[in-house]
Amino acid sequence: MVAPIDQSELPLDNLEFFIDPSRCIGCQACVAACGECDTHRGIPMIHLDYVDRSTSVQTAPVVCMHCENPTCAMVCPADAIKQDDNGVVLSAAHSRCIGCSNCTLACPFGVPKQQIEMQLMMKCDLCYDRSSVGKKPMCAAVCPSQALHYGSRTKVEAHRGEVPCNKFQFGDQTVKTKVNMMTAHGLDTIPFDVADFMPQGNLAAFGRERIGSPDAAEDTVWEDLPA
Amino acid sequence: MAFLNLTEDEYIERYGPTPAYMSERDLEGEPDKLVKTHCCFCGVQCGIQLKVKENKIVGFEPWEEFPVNEGKLCPKGVKRYLQNGHPDRLTTPLMRSEDGFREAGWDEALSKTVSEIQRVQATYGRDAVAFLGGASMTNEKSYINGKFARVALGTRNIDYNGRLCMASAGAANKLAFGIDRSANPWKDIPKAKVLILAGTNIAECFPILTDYIWRARDNGAKIIVIDPRITPIARTADLFLPVRPGRDSALAHGILHMMIEWGWIDEDFIAAHTNDFDAVRELVKDYTPAHTEQITGVPAASIEQAAELWGTAETSMLLHARGIEHHTKGVENVLSYINLVLATGRIGKPGSGYGTLTGQGNGQGGREHGQRCNQLPGGRDINNPEHREHIANFWGIDETKLPREGLTACEIIDDIEMGEIKALISISFNPLVSIPDSARTRKALEKLEHFTAIDFFLSETAQYADVVLAGSLQEEDEGTVTTGEGRCVRLRPVVRPPAEARVDWHIIADLAQRLGAGRHFAHETAADIFEELTAVSAGGPVDYSGMSYERIENEMGIFWPCPAPNHPGTPRLFAGGRFAHPDGRAKFHAFPYRPPAEEVDAEYPIFFTSGRVVSQYLSGTQTRRIGMLVDQYPEPLCEIHPHLAERLGIADSDRVRVSTRRGQIEVPAQIVKTIRPDTVFIPYHWPGKKAANQITNRALDPISKIPEFKVCACKVEKAS
Amino acid sequence: MKTPFSIGLVFAGLLILAIYLGSHQMRDFDPALKWYAVASVLGAFAVGYRFTVWAQRPPSRMYFKRGLELAWRYPWLLVKSGGQKMTAQTFIKERSYYRWIMHLCLSGGCTLTFVVTFPLVFGWIHFDVGNTAEIYQVKAFGAVVREFSVHSLEAKLMFNILNIAALFVLVGLLMAGWRRLTNAGVRAVQNFTEDIMPLLIIFAVTATGFMLTVSYSFLKGHGHGLLVWVHLFTVVVLIFYIPFGKLFHMFQRLCSVCVSLYKQAGEEGPQSGCVVCHDVFASQMHVDDLKNVLDQLGFNYRFATPKGEVHYQDICPKCRHRLLAVNQGKTLGR
Repeated sequence: MVAPIDQSELPLDNLEFFIDPSRCIGCQACVAACGECDTHRGIPMIHLDYVDRSTSVQTAPVVCMHCENPTCAMVCPADAIKQDDNGVVLSAAHSRCIGCSNCTLACPFGVPKQQIEMQLMMKCDLCYDRSSVGKKPMCAAVCPSQALHYGSRTKVEAHRGEVPCNKFQFGDQTVKTKVNMMTAHGLDTIPFDVADFMPQGNLAAFGRERIGSPDAAEDTVWEDLPA
Repeated sequence: MAFLNLTEDEYIERYGPTPAYMSERDLEGEPDKLVKTHCCFCGVQCGIQLKVKENKIVGFEPWEEFPVNEGKLCPKGVKRYLQNGHPDRLTTPLMRSEDGFREAGWDEALSKTVSEIQRVQATYGRDAVAFLGGASMTNEKSYINGKFARVALGTRNIDYNGRLCMASAGAANKLAFGIDRSANPWKDIPKAKVLILAGTNIAECFPILTDYIWRARDNGAKIIVIDPRITPIARTADLFLPVRPGRDSALAHGILHMMIEWGWIDEDFIAAHTNDFDAVRELVKDYTPAHTEQITGVPAASIEQAAELWGTAETSMLLHARGIEHHTKGVENVLSYINLVLATGRIGKPGSGYGTLTGQGNGQGGREHGQRCNQLPGGRDINNPEHREHIANFWGIDETKLPREGLTACEIIDDIEMGEIKALISISFNPLVSIPDSARTRKALEKLEHFTAIDFFLSETAQYADVVLAGSLQEEDEGTVTTGEGRCVRLRPVVRPPAEARVDWHIIADLAQRLGAGRHFAHETAADIFEELTAVSAGGPVDYSGMSYERIENEMGIFWPCPAPNHPGTPRLFAGGRFAHPDGRAKFHAFPYRPPAEEVDAEYPIFFTSGRVVSQYLSGTQTRRIGMLVDQYPEPLCEIHPHLAERLGIADSDRVRVSTRRGQIEVPAQIVKTIRPDTVFIPYHWPGKKAANQITNRALDPISKIPEFKVCACKVEKAS
Repeated sequence: MKTPFSIGLVFAGLLILAIYLGSHQMRDFDPALKWYAVASVLGAFAVGYRFTVWAQRPPSRMYFKRGLELAWRYPWLLVKSGGQKMTAQTFIKERSYYRWIMHLCLSGGCTLTFVVTFPLVFGWIHFDVGNTAEIYQVKAFGAVVREFSVHSLEAKLMFNILNIAALFVLVGLLMAGWRRLTNAGVRAVQNFTEDIMPLLIIFAVTATGFMLTVSYSFLKGHGHGLLVWVHLFTVVVLIFYIPFGKLFHMFQRLCSVCVSLYKQAGEEGPQSGCVVCHDVFASQMHVDDLKNVLDQLGFNYRFATPKGEVHYQDICPKCRHRLLAVNQGKTLGR
């Protein structure tokens, strides 16, 4: 089908997924390409939402983070979610999945998608047909903004201004993942804060803290409103 | 007199746009082949591999070896394959009938076109027939279009839709540098320490370049974004200058004012390599930060910060696009920003330079090979006697028979409206959607005595045609295009045109034959045309003569000028500060700021601006037919700042009526804090009542003749 | 592991009892089939054991517990859902028609076989000669339930019922095999023990079963003696594969009936709104139950905030996406 890839040049273990939502431009190339992947053709698995379009163009691309101890698999009543030897958490086994939504509700990253009529959960499997033979997953192959990148850790560490991190702190729960997320130097865990969101669900709360960048939530940018 | 004889819904019912989705059946089994070619959309011309099965494109595969995009694509590129095998595809010639169109044979359709052209030319003169081309077509087709108009039609009125895109930048580049091309390859971007992005929504219009911007930032670059909207690239910018629409040149002057004041200009370079700086030095004296703030709405402190960042940079690149070019002073805007580059002397070096980002697929090449009213192949000047002589000799015609400079695209539409031009042949151009003041465009189309359109889908403009000739999609022909960085790349043939549809230049050649000019169009293959266009370009300003298909394929594209088969091409221009003017010096231009053609007033108190969204391309003839792209942003929305919305009593998703002196449009409101409160924005990709160009202003730049898409005065009301 | 073992023993014990009683204290038991019976008893133990291990896991236990509670509330839904999910399997149709037909062939063929063979093996049903040699009797638990002539169509169907079932199974196997060989997506994800082996085992059972027919119908019993043992072997392998491989899903599917009841009850009960965006995203029962399940599994997604404790389960998946981007952006100041 496609030119064979010399696998000796692309040892699977050296290629990792790095995601940097802050670089995302919301173009949806990933969504478009995700639907072209053979393991779930026609049904994009990646999530891409505006954080809050009314205040910002910031977008949130979410692929499966492939947890080391996947909450989704643990809460599955049907043993439908399996991990392969490389730690890839696969989409639900078709024969087992009973479409109960436990995984969808429990995943801290909100990844699994329910196909209600099919009684089936589907989720990002790193384009298993591609990544298992050394090719890039579709989304990372096309992402034009470096928000989604599949490549060697050495290069990422050498070139990026941020550092990869694969630990997330959700309150009292630490989650370790196979997929890396770029963060600031000195952080080995990405802390999650929910407090600011509680009172009225206003996502503008973080806007003021974005340093040096135009903050749409900060009205002073536009203070020259004509009379 | 060509009035529509079907309703809008009837046209849609018969000819689309129908959103296409992937078909399950195409997935079965293995594709027959993978073809390395390029995306059919913007000026980046990303490399892509198309999966072909039984003469149908069934999918894509990233082409990671192509150095410009390394496999990366935007959603348009990913889904472009769905335009192939599309239900709306025109597969036979159509002729106007009482109930719309009827299918016709090629002989009948071509005979009709030819007889009408001959009749119109015999009655009203040769120039009463105009030819409008497109900048999404290959270099080969652009060359053939120009030659056809001048040799076969003998009309001076040939222009193309690049007039709506690259004209200001092209004209300014010629004036400042003596050559019309981006000065640097994009691979210089990551080496720049400061980037100014002026009026360029890179994330949505050239998504792939976002990668280059981030590489620069990883190397420590600071980026300055100038835009009335917080676009995705502006969101994370180091410095954002929220310019009021139509004030771009003042802002450039204000920045240069502070650079001169603080001594951050390269006097040595200016003295050794440029002319006319003194006039600029004098001009910008008035543009103090406070004064500039008053004009532009950009805080004085930000202007100073920009001057400091840009002035003290070690290496830098300035990139701009339609945001500063789509103005009645588009050329002046561009020249004012070029002043910022020339004053620092940071050009012609790795990581230092300048570029304009081409919006159309072959925006660069489309304007180099004689498809423009004032230009002959090889970037030659139609008013230059030597150039005329060269081309006439090459074509084997008498120089006196070679038409003189004609009208530009918008002027052609104006002239049709005024009854001067009576017949039109257009190819891949949808002016009803893409030219400002669509009511006037419609009136013009209704006045045509004859209109032949060559296209692959029935565009809204082609609905007015008397004859529609079913042409070819990009993937159904082969040839070359020249990308926004000046790299000529190779489009490989992927599939054959379906049914009776024909390759565009075969149609043109057939018309030429019937018009009695067949001997000038005896090309057997696209390669023959390429050979001719490279040969004719030899010695001209735009020299392709060292290129061949084989070389372009092997070298993954060649940058012009490439004057000999052993010449490596010229990725970066102006090495050693040598510019293309005869004296080798670049030229400063001192244009004082002047307001746009239409200013806000009591009646129309709000600025209106238009632009693109990432999922659509130009007039949408292709992208409005691709399902996922339609779903991503189904209809135009009007971006309004909450302050303004509150004052006008408008809530999110309310339908609003935006009116200008030319017309009105009703669309849902999108209340966002990412736009200036004195400005509203509507993207322009839709036709009819959803067309933003119903209300934009057709006032033209005096030099480039580009219309003022980016600013006019409007009022906004809640629609009942 | 004490409970699963005991439950396994209970399953096996019950089956032995059922065989003993159902076969009239072994009077109707066909000794030729004794090894099948032994394997079935061992299989019953394994299924009981495996089922209990599985059903005891917190999420499965939650659904079975709720299912038992709710079964009384929605008896009709219980029947309907059982019919749709266990028999008609309409959800597979939504995945693809091809797979639906394929699966119906496989599950239908296998079920038909089981319905015939297990009662025969257990001595619950046997055939007897009636008043004349031309008449056959079907006896269930000793009582005559049916009589028919050996020349009747019914007799032909009856004697060939396993062959008919095998044909269905073969069609299903062919379709499954073709899919597993040609569909790129499936090929990438499948693995031998989980996806290929069950097809091979079922094929082996079917093929050897067919060969038995061929042997006594066309080859005058040639090789019959050996084939009997080979067929027995494949069946034993199948019986032991069921609880420990992919085919166990036929028992796990039971849980999806519980899910139907659970969803119905969830829809009728209070809903859970996201604490960030306030949109309803699940039933309150589901969110609360999942918090318990997570606790039992040792996950603790609780945040102590100045405004009180927040459980991540109270935030909808969409807001989790947004929180991910916002929190990551915050670490980088963008």
